[in-house]
Amino acid sequence: MIDLSFNRVSKRYRIRHESEETASRHPLIRKWNALWTHPEDFWAVRDVSFDVERGEALGIIGHNGAGKSTILKLLSNITTPTAGEIRINGRLAALIEVGSGFHPELTGRENIYLNGAILGMARSEITKKLESIIEFAGVRQFIDTPVKRFSSGMYVRLGFSIAAHLEPDILLLDEVLAVGDASFQKKCLDRISELKEAGTTIVFISHDLRAVERLCQRVLLLKRGQIVMNGPAKEVIAAYQNDATLSSESVEVHKRGETKEVEIRTLSFLNDNGQMNPVFKTGKPLIARIDFDVHEAVNDAVFSVLLFTSDGESHCELTTEFSRDSLSLQRGKGSIEFRTDELGLLPGVYFTSVHVQQRGAQDVIHYQYKSTTLRVDFDRVVRGNFFLPHDWQVSQVESDEVVELEVQNK
Amino acid sequence: MAAAQDSSIMTKRRPVKIIRPPSFSIAGFLRDFKGLWLYKDLLYTLSAHRVKVRYKQSVLGIAWAVLQPLSLMLIYTLVFAVFARIPTGGTPYPVMAFTGLLLWTLFSTALTSSTNGLVSHAHLVTKVYFPREILPLTYVVAALFDFAIAALLLAALMVYYHVAPTINLLYAIPIVLILTCFVTAMSLAFSALQVRFRDVGVAMPLLLQLWMFATPVVYPLSAVPQRFQSLYSLNPMVGVVDSFRTVVLNGTAPDLHGLGISAILSIVLLPACYIYFKHVEATLADVI
Repeated sequence: MIDLSFNRVSKRYRIRHESEETASRHPLIRKWNALWTHPEDFWAVRDVSFDVERGEALGIIGHNGAGKSTILKLLSNITTPTAGEIRINGRLAALIEVGSGFHPELTGRENIYLNGAILGMARSEITKKLESIIEFAGVRQFIDTPVKRFSSGMYVRLGFSIAAHLEPDILLLDEVLAVGDASFQKKCLDRISELKEAGTTIVFISHDLRAVERLCQRVLLLKRGQIVMNGPAKEVIAAYQNDATLSSESVEVHKRGETKEVEIRTLSFLNDNGQMNPVFKTGKPLIARIDFDVHEAVNDAVFSVLLFTSDGESHCELTTEFSRDSLSLQRGKGSIEFRTDELGLLPGVYFTSVHVQQRGAQDVIHYQYKSTTLRVDFDRVVRGNFFLPHDWQVSQVESDEVVELEVQNK
Repeated sequence: MAAAQDSSIMTKRRPVKIIRPPSFSIAGFLRDFKGLWLYKDLLYTLSAHRVKVRYKQSVLGIAWAVLQPLSLMLIYTLVFAVFARIPTGGTPYPVMAFTGLLLWTLFSTALTSSTNGLVSHAHLVTKVYFPREILPLTYVVAALFDFAIAALLLAALMVYYHVAPTINLLYAIPIVLILTCFVTAMSLAFSALQVRFRDVGVAMPLLLQLWMFATPVVYPLSAVPQRFQSLYSLNPMVGVVDSFRTVVLNGTAPDLHGLGISAILSIVLLPACYIYFKHVEATLADVI
């Protein structure tokens, strides 16, 4: 049974370019000029066809601008296709940005009705689920307070609780899992798994490859508005990870200047015991090791390892650049190890580039892109964007003596 | 919970939805209309909240619904009955002006607030689907609610000025229906226009000011010279306001000619504006 089908769907946007000389401050002149420029067609989605079976969980991945959000908008009927046909068999609900339909002046209870209605629930249905929604959100005490007085945590919990009580046939998920702290994300995922087990068809559009892999059997890979791969989650995600993330031009620029006095053989990640490619966890030690061959002696060399997110944005760097000691390389083989005692990266997959360079030089000596990926697994709960290594200490004043405790957070 | 869901998925009849590129057809028009019915709960909830939110944290609360036309009535009475002394044909000026202002306030409040209705909900419109016409419609419903409150004051004024209602007062029902039709049509058209041309919202206060003086709100229809009358009555608000005043204050049957023009225009404009609105809706999220 097919719950959802895209039949040769395309979506075109028209973009008008404003050239430098016609740009004017006056809006009327701008409008006039716009009349004489030809709009450029941009196909956000082009000739896309796929089906989703009942009870299946389909993941859609791709880089920014590949057409993921356009597909989501088409599916949820927020915008209409330029060509093709979409068939949806059943009640569809999108788990949208939590709480975006809230009115600050209204109470929690009133907002449950409002938000529920916006998401497509009937009043009677909301009344029936009211208790359960309040319970799940854990805001009973404040349910008759205007939501503008809610803490942001309560706001998010209530918003999610309403959405979680939708019982759609087909559930659309965007980057909802990216909001909130880890325990909230877990609650979110648990509820989604529950829906999945109950037979709900799921379409999950995300950058979070790990979450996609966990939830979906099948994955579509999009590139420039077209499907380039459609298959089992593991295979497609692996292919996506091996696909060049950085634009090929910038890789080319680095490659062109290579002088190759030094050649990087491998980059490997090790744990404390020198074990290769173990499971890395946030807050645990990590060693990055570069093995290299030196063909000609180099004075004052700089080694750097850059880590990228799956979007191709550089995330952080390990480098010898800012050390005071200069690094001179003699002919032969060698290796260099970067070490951190407490890994600050959050769980995820990171791509790498390695390069060696003479300090201050324009060209690199050798550049290697995506030879290795670093995978950090979920272990402890980390709220925020990165893990900050820290200790703590408490001092208490108790009657007239001061008790001091010192604890190492390991 | 999972078990209960399982059975409901097995037994529930599933709606089938097909999304195609936008194109106009009678069947599509009827489908849109039917789709609106499915969202009646949202229309109710949103409208109720409009009313609640409007008067939340205001000291006078719901009294504002009465204060607005009342204070306008006092000002116009001062200007037109004390300073300028325009003839009203025996009817006390304040109650004459109030009947006009009552309907006009309904029209202008609904139109002003709904014009901005889509744009001010951009965060919703780009995130979740529901028939977009619900947004302007909720403002019309909220304005009708205010109208009902303010109508109580009209009843009080009628008692004060000893204006006895007759059986012809029942005409007020179709008159208000025609007005609702017309203001709905205008709200749909202007809210859709505002998405593309924000000028509409800026021009709205001026437009409404001019429109009010082109309607017998603060002066009687008899004050308009005969030679302008045929052109003048093409404004659908003319027939509505004048007929309402006739049935309420004079207790006689309305001028069916004038009211007929308003009715026909409203009935033609409503589907036309709805079709235009739906046309804009198709690409709304891309433009807004």
